[in-house]
Amino acid sequence: MYQIPRAEWYDLTRATNWTYSYVTEDEMFPEEMSGARGIPIEEWETYDEPYKVSYPEYVAIQREKDAGAYSVKAALERDAYVDRADPGWISTMIAHYGAIAVNEYAASLAEGRMARFAKAPGNRNMATFGTLDENRHGQIQLFFPHANIKRSRQWDWAHKAMHTNDWASIAARAFFDDIMLCRDAVAVSIMLTFGFETGFTNMQFLGLAADASEAGDHTFASLISSVQTDEARHAQQGGPSLKILIANGHKEEAQKLVDVSIWRAWKLFSVLTGPIMDYYTPLEHRSQSFKEFMVEWIIIQFERQLADLGLDAPWFWDDLVNDLDVTHHGMHLGVWYWRPTVWWNPAAGASPEDREWLEEKYPGWNKTWGKCWDVITDNLNNGREDLTLPETLPYVCNMCQLPIVGTPGNEWNVQDFPLEFEGRLYHFGSKADRWCFEQDPERYKEHQNLIDRFLAGEIQPADLPGALAYMGLGPGEMGKDAHDYAWAEAFKKQAEVA
Amino acid sequence: MSNLNDAYKQNKVGPIFNGGDVAQAAIEAAEWDNPDKEITIDDKGAYVRISAEQEMIITRESMEEALGRDFQMNEIEIHLGSMAGQIEVTPEQIRFFFEKTL
Ligand SMILES: [Fe+2]
Ligand SMILES: [Fe+2]
Repeated sequence: MYQIPRAEWYDLTRATNWTYSYVTEDEMFPEEMSGARGIPIEEWETYDEPYKVSYPEYVAIQREKDAGAYSVKAALERDAYVDRADPGWISTMIAHYGAIAVNEYAASLAEGRMARFAKAPGNRNMATFGTLDENRHGQIQLFFPHANIKRSRQWDWAHKAMHTNDWASIAARAFFDDIMLCRDAVAVSIMLTFGFETGFTNMQFLGLAADASEAGDHTFASLISSVQTDEARHAQQGGPSLKILIANGHKEEAQKLVDVSIWRAWKLFSVLTGPIMDYYTPLEHRSQSFKEFMVEWIIIQFERQLADLGLDAPWFWDDLVNDLDVTHHGMHLGVWYWRPTVWWNPAAGASPEDREWLEEKYPGWNKTWGKCWDVITDNLNNGREDLTLPETLPYVCNMCQLPIVGTPGNEWNVQDFPLEFEGRLYHFGSKADRWCFEQDPERYKEHQNLIDRFLAGEIQPADLPGALAYMGLGPGEMGKDAHDYAWAEAFKKQAEVA
Repeated sequence: MSNLNDAYKQNKVGPIFNGGDVAQAAIEAAEWDNPDKEITIDDKGAYVRISAEQEMIITRESMEEALGRDFQMNEIEIHLGSMAGQIEVTPEQIRFFFEKTL
């Protein structure tokens, strides 16, 4: 049977805007949902998606992708990799699934918003496939960890995490809800598909896959890199929106949407991906440092793309570049110290060899972060584990919901960036976090961070056990040191030899 | 990496594949389809980055030649994890490019 080639009919079939007679255009595409920003619908009809796909093509290709990932899983299942993997790597997977899997479902809703409400027919078409993509990502990343629930209750957090008030879940939700669920279709295309997916998902789904394959975890490597092939396609939805906004005099707003998305993504990745890449992944399997991955994917590749589309580097670019040496080390120290409050077992990554690597990748690490780890190591080796465990909660930022961190050592520089708004005092961890708030205070002003809730008496009893219960962490779920302090032992032996 | 703030001021474009025979074929095809360009390969194990300055074209014809089988251009998506530059896909070719030169 002769089939007319797609190129000959695609443009005609996706021209699905029509003239409404029963409703007005505003009823059809309410501004809160569509976000056309006064740009006429004819302009949105010029939206030209770089990736054109028909439904039969989509199904055939997705089937092939799934067959690839599932067959690797099936082939390696009996190998029981998980039983012999380094505990640091196990923590990497458990942290990843909890932070990501259910948010993929949320992304499906965000795609659904574009599929229904974008005034650009091309956007609606691509988002229909995007909706299906994200459903696949949710399912596959719940199914793979499910096989491991018999090994530890922590694996169950792939599904559970986003349904709790764990601090890390609050932080992840605050970000994803902001860019995916509480924005109009045009903002979603820019903040989610452009800001987040052409940029940061590469870190978590390709950068981390490089570490996974180094670690011999081919199941995880093929799973997450397969997910990213969908991202590479549906991430292309933001570019055409940006071009239309810029061509119609909305560059400033486009820039703002991108900048907020980048900054917020950066903060989340500094607590999730940073510790995973530089501390949890066993030293011999680290293919690059977190900073090197950030430079490759964000500082070079993503920023170059931004420039090509006619946008400027975000105003906080210098701060971001400087923070590549700082933020995630502080986040890691905090996550490890407050380890009972997370659903994975943080690996300290602070053995003598680890520290040599950290000093090489981040010159000055030993005289700053290293000093804190010296104290922790001494306490552990002197039988004082109690001094390495938390009794209170850290102060967290009202934007990123993460601890306010700075560089320890002689130049201790932690700084609060406060703001009083409508009589309430907010605290932020950086100038850029405060700036995000100032762009749209109505959006953020009601939110209570974990400490606000604690101070408001929502967490009872008002102590650490009360907080752990509030976060939904039961026995067997709370994190502990991934290697039972074996890394600290090594310093004891060193001292004995000397 | 002396000045990271300006590190993006370069013009390398091209696909990043998560492996598969398509990645190997694309390396060959990129050489054939861009005869005046230097094609660089950065293999990170889980992904391989294929780059050229400013513009890179990969045609369906070259992919078929390299793979020794039929190939539809959009099959490239199966292993295309990411890309540097903007893209334009037609049934006969995929093009990675930057509009501006920095
Ligand atoms: Fe996804
Ligand atoms: Fe996505």
